[in-house]
Amino acid sequence: MKSSGWSKSWVQQLVFTGPVTLAFAIIIALPFFMGMYYSFTEWNGVSDNATFVGLDNFVKIFNDQTFINSFTFTTKFTIAAVILSNLVGFMLALLLTQPVKSKNLLRTIFFMPNVIGGLLLGFIWQFIFVKGFAAVGEKTGWSLFNLPWLGDETTAFWGVVIVTVWSTSGYLMVIYISALINVPRDLIEAASIDGATAMQRLRHITVPLIMPAVTIALFLALSWSFKSFDIILSLTKGGPYNSTQSVALNIYNEAFQNNNMGLGTAKALIFFIVVALITSLQVWVTKRKEVQA
Amino acid sequence: MKKSLISAVSAGLAIAMLAGCSTSNNGGGNEPAGNNGGANNGEKVTLNIFQFKVEIADALNRLKADYEKENPNVILNIETMGGGADYGAGLKAKFASNQEPDIFNNGGNADLTTWADKLEDLSNEPWQSDVIDTAKEGITRDGKNYGLPMGIEGYGLIYNKDLFKQAGIETPPKTLTELKAAVEKLKAAKITPFSNGYQEFWVLGNHTFNVALANQDDPTSFIKGLNEGKGGLVGNPVIGNWFNLFDMMIANSNKNPLTTDYNTQVTLFASGKTAMMQQGNWTQVQIDGITPNMNIGILPMPVDDSEKSGNIFVGVPNYWVVNKNSKNKEAAKDFLNWLATSETGKNYGVNEFKFIPALKSVEVKDQKVLGAIANDILQYSKDGKTSGWYFNQMPEGLPQEVGADMQAYVAGKSNKDQLVKSIQDKWTNMAKK
Repeated sequence: MKSSGWSKSWVQQLVFTGPVTLAFAIIIALPFFMGMYYSFTEWNGVSDNATFVGLDNFVKIFNDQTFINSFTFTTKFTIAAVILSNLVGFMLALLLTQPVKSKNLLRTIFFMPNVIGGLLLGFIWQFIFVKGFAAVGEKTGWSLFNLPWLGDETTAFWGVVIVTVWSTSGYLMVIYISALINVPRDLIEAASIDGATAMQRLRHITVPLIMPAVTIALFLALSWSFKSFDIILSLTKGGPYNSTQSVALNIYNEAFQNNNMGLGTAKALIFFIVVALITSLQVWVTKRKEVQA
Repeated sequence: MKKSLISAVSAGLAIAMLAGCSTSNNGGGNEPAGNNGGANNGEKVTLNIFQFKVEIADALNRLKADYEKENPNVILNIETMGGGADYGAGLKAKFASNQEPDIFNNGGNADLTTWADKLEDLSNEPWQSDVIDTAKEGITRDGKNYGLPMGIEGYGLIYNKDLFKQAGIETPPKTLTELKAAVEKLKAAKITPFSNGYQEFWVLGNHTFNVALANQDDPTSFIKGLNEGKGGLVGNPVIGNWFNLFDMMIANSNKNPLTTDYNTQVTLFASGKTAMMQQGNWTQVQIDGITPNMNIGILPMPVDDSEKSGNIFVGVPNYWVVNKNSKNKEAAKDFLNWLATSETGKNYGVNEFKFIPALKSVEVKDQKVLGAIANDILQYSKDGKTSGWYFNQMPEGLPQEVGADMQAYVAGKSNKDQLVKSIQDKWTNMAKK
C-alpha cells in the first residue's frame, strides 16, 4: 500500500493538529471575533438587543480617566515586575547551577509558588501584609513593617510587585537553568585559561549564549504582567482608591460591574492590540541579540 | 506501521472528545419556549433556583425537602453563589450558556433596569397585598411589580452597650452633639470608638454615602437630578453636614482602616476592641460566633441634631424574581406563592433564614430568633424612624467609584471639595453611559 507523500502528510497534519486547531477556533478565536462586534455596540450584557453605535465606544475610552490611570499603573507595574522577576529568576538559576547541596530540593521550593493559583497567592499574601507584617512591626518596631501595607499607593504597588515576582521568578528560573546547563563547558574553560574573570565570563560568554532563553523569559514575564488580574483582584481589589487597578481589572469592572459590555470589549480590543505590539517588538529586539556557539 | 497506529488512536480520541462535548448539553438548560403548562401534566418539573445568600444555603436545603414532600411532582435544584463571589457575573454566565435559572435574585432599582428584559411580571400574585409598601418600590417599574422581597435589612451604628456603660454614657446618643460627647467619653476611657472596614467599597460607597443621600429633603428627586446630569452635590448643605459625621468616624477609627476588611471590622467590634461599627443586622451571626449573647444595639448615624437624621437605614437587599423565558414559570410562581403565604414558608423566612419579614402578616413571635440588632431595627421601623437605601438608585458601578474616591479622602489624598466634585463628575459620566 503506497499512498502519495503529499496526502499522507496532510492526513497526519490533520490528525495531530486538527483537534487542537478546532478547540482553539471554538474557544479562543470565535469568541474573540464575536467580541469584536460587540465593541461597536452599546449592550449591557443581559438585554435582548445590542444597539450599534459605531466608533462611539472608542471615543469614550480616550476620555476615560480611570482607563488611562489603569494603563499608567499597568505600565509601571510591568516595568518593575519584568525587571525584578527576571533578575531574581536569573540569580536563582546561577546559584542553583553551581555545585550546591540540596540543589534539587531548592529548585522545587523556588518553583512551588508558581503551582499555587494566583487567587490563592493573593489571599495568602494579603494576610501576610496586613496581619503578619503588622504583628512583626509591633514586636520589633522596624519601620518597614510598620508601614500601612496595602493601605496606600506606594505600599500597595510594591505589594503587588513583590507577590508577582515571588510567584513568577521560579518559573523563569527553570527556563534559565535549562539554558545555563547547555552552555558548553569548553568555551568557559577556554575563557578562564585566557584569564577572563568570573564577571567577564558571565557577561561575554554565558549571557550571549543564553539569549534564546532571555527572549522567552522576557516574553512570558511581559505578557503575564500586562495581563495581571487574579493576584491584584485578591490582594487589593484594585484599591486603595483604584491606585492598583490593572487594565485587565478595569476591563472586567467595566463589563461586569458597570454592565457596559460593549465599552468593555472595546477596551479589551485596544488592550489586545497594545499587548500584541509590545510583545512582538520585544521578541524582535531580543531575537536579534541571539548568537550561535 | 507504528505511525499510522498512533494516527488512528489520536483520531479516535479526538472524535470521542467531540462527542463528549455534544452530549452534555441537555442537562438543566431552559430553552425559551411558550409552553407554560409544565407543572400540570403530572410529569416531574425541575425548578432551577440560583441564589446568592450564602448564609441561608443550609436552611434552603431543609426547605427543599419540605417543599418536595408537599409537592411530589416538583424537584428543586438550588444553587448558591455569593459571599465573596460575583453573583452578577455568575448569573450572566448562566444566561449566556443557556442554563437560565427559573428563579433567581435581583437587587431592584438599577439591577432591575439591567435585567428587566428577562423578568416575569408578578403584579397579580396573591402575596402582593401583603408586602409592606417600602419594600415594593425598588422592584416596581411602569406600574408592574417583578419580585418578592426576601426580607428587610437595616444598618446604622452598632454599639457595645457594656463599653458605653464603662465609659459612663447613660443614654444612647441620637443626635450629632450627643454622639460627639459619647465619642469623647469613650476616648477618655481609652476605648477606640469606631472600627471602620474601609477596605470594602460598599461600607463607604453604599452605606456611608447613603447617609448623605437619605438626609436630603427629597432623596428620590435629588438622585433623579444627578442622574439627569443637573448636579446638585457640590455646595449641597446636607453634604456639608455629612462630613461632620464622616470626619468624626475617620478621626476616631481603629488603626489602618483602609486595610481593614469586613471580617476584621466585625471581629474588632465583636471582641470588644471597639465600641461602635457602621454595619447592619447581617453581622449578628458572626458576632454570635465570636461573643455569644453580646450586649449590643443599634444607633442612628446623625449628621446634625435634626429629627430626621436620627433615623436608621432600612432596605430590601434582594428580591426573588422569575425568569420570563422559563418553561416552568407557573411552577416557579407557585413556589414563590408557597414561600410567601404558606405557614411553612413564612416560618422559614423568619426562623430559619432569620430575615426581618417584609410581609405584613408575618409576626416575629420569639424575640431571640432574630437577635438584638434586628429587634432594635424592628422597633425603629414601628416608630417610623427609618430612611431608605438610596444607593440602589445610583448608576451601576458608581458605588464602587464613590468608594474609591472616599478611600482617597480617608487617606488624605483629596480634600472635601475635591471629593464632592469628583463624585458629582463621575455620577454625571456614568449616568450618561
